[in-house]
Amino acid sequence: MMDKLKLAVFELTDCGGCALNILFLYEKLFDLLEFYEITEFHMATSLSEGSHYDVALVTGTVSSQRDLALLKEARNHSDYLIALGTCATHGSVQASVEGSIREKLKRVYGDEGNPMRALDSKPVVEYVAVDFALPGCPYDKNEVYQVLIDIAKGIEPVKKDYPVCVECKLNEYECVLVKKGLPCLGPITYGGCNAACIRSGLGCIGCRGPLPGEVNPASEYEILKDLGYDDDYIIRKFKTFARWEP
Amino acid sequence: MRYIKLPSENFEKFFNSLKAWGSIYAPVKRGSIYSFQEVQRAEEVALDYNRTMLPPKKFFVRPRDEILRLKNGRWENGTDAEPIVLFGLHSCDIHGLKILDKVYLDEPVDPYYKARREKTFIVGISCMPDEYCFCKSLGTHFAMDGFDLFLHELPDGWLVRIGSVRGHEIVWENGELFEEVTDEDLKHFKEFEERRANAFQKEIPQEGLADMLDLAYNSPVWKEYAEICLACGNCNMVCPTCRCYEVCDKWISAYDAVRERRYDSCFMENHGLVAGGHNFRPTRLDRFRHRYYCKSYFDPSSGYNCVGCGRCDEFCPAKIEHVKVLEEVRGSLR
Repeated sequence: MMDKLKLAVFELTDCGGCALNILFLYEKLFDLLEFYEITEFHMATSLSEGSHYDVALVTGTVSSQRDLALLKEARNHSDYLIALGTCATHGSVQASVEGSIREKLKRVYGDEGNPMRALDSKPVVEYVAVDFALPGCPYDKNEVYQVLIDIAKGIEPVKKDYPVCVECKLNEYECVLVKKGLPCLGPITYGGCNAACIRSGLGCIGCRGPLPGEVNPASEYEILKDLGYDDDYIIRKFKTFARWEP
Repeated sequence: MRYIKLPSENFEKFFNSLKAWGSIYAPVKRGSIYSFQEVQRAEEVALDYNRTMLPPKKFFVRPRDEILRLKNGRWENGTDAEPIVLFGLHSCDIHGLKILDKVYLDEPVDPYYKARREKTFIVGISCMPDEYCFCKSLGTHFAMDGFDLFLHELPDGWLVRIGSVRGHEIVWENGELFEEVTDEDLKHFKEFEERRANAFQKEIPQEGLADMLDLAYNSPVWKEYAEICLACGNCNMVCPTCRCYEVCDKWISAYDAVRERRYDSCFMENHGLVAGGHNFRPTRLDRFRHRYYCKSYFDPSSGYNCVGCGRCDEFCPAKIEHVKVLEEVRGSLR
């Protein structure tokens, strides 16, 4: 039998949800273990024996020197690196905090400096080149399942090219933006969540970050303004999961 | 074409008799939208609905459709088609299906579409236009064919037009429910149609539309609208004539997979992307303009790819109006 691929999961600063979400595949995890052996995953094994990984999943933001060192280690020793979850792909809530970390540290620790060696929180993609980026807070666990089996079979995983609206319409959910005037970021947000929030009658909060390419945040901004939401509210909403300029 | 009358008191019996053909799907209200859903009882049906969010194409080209299944290393065909009744289609949607028929039933025939289409019994229903409708100006406000039965509202029942042999058979089997049409019924039918014709608030001047689009490719109006268009694809998803699909493979276990097709949208990046990395429509402007050319001009031999149902306007978050865009483009030529 062919040697199994070596899989590593590295966690930088985050809530832990994205790493845990892999274990939430439950019995489907065994499908992955047909092709992979886990050589590094602090939630699943005490092994830490890798010097080379075929596939590495990295979750979280780079928020400390420790994160940065770990990320470089992961990048240098893996063939295929996946930024997993919105922290890793867009920075998520941590990176949306305003103001620099230096000023904040000073307020708490005075001139004692920086005991945790903290950095301004930034996504993984700001520091290293990644082979695939899979956003979501958390990401849809079925997506990582598809991507890992694709890679094991030698198929380059396909990036989604559509916003949340497309999956929302496929499910024929009532449009909360057009029909209820809720502040829904569906038209400009990277799809793949199967419009989970709109299914519950809520507007999309943009947790998967902006869809790259020809989407139109400026028009979304105008639409929300016409619905009566103020500047500050809209900009904060835009920036909750991704530091982008509308 | 044969005309008969279905008195109001027999409506429910008639509705229930259709179950002999198959499960009945009809427009029902869900929140502030309507949707074709399976119904058991006549009273569940929203007879006076304006339009459903997804058009009836969803029964033939499904939003997500499993077409093949990889099992034990072999691909299996996944066609499934149950006999169903689509109850309460408006004329525009019947015309929409006729446009899809040209695409999916001409060689090469799409086997999934064909199997489902053949097993579907279609009952049309008359309607009153709202502020989004412009089917009259496209000639799609009245269906002469493409249905099995068509119900026209009368004060005391329904005038039924029979559009197919299958329609005749259903009527024959339930002969006791129907009556002959009287002169008074015809008068009411004509009155209804007149009232309806006068109720349209929007029209699309069809005259020279193809020529106009020929000349207007570089019109600044396209650019103005591309600035406010979100490129979200909502208009494509809800359009009764948009039929582009994407085919994707999905793993369901370590060794088994399904091949699924789902609605695609020409506003998405991969839609215009070809091997080698060239993209025919790289910008939002290209994609926005493309949609209008596809609807009104793309292939003049197949006629217009728009039936005036108003869905794209109703569900556009940016409130872009199809007719207004074309009128402004025309105006920019003057």
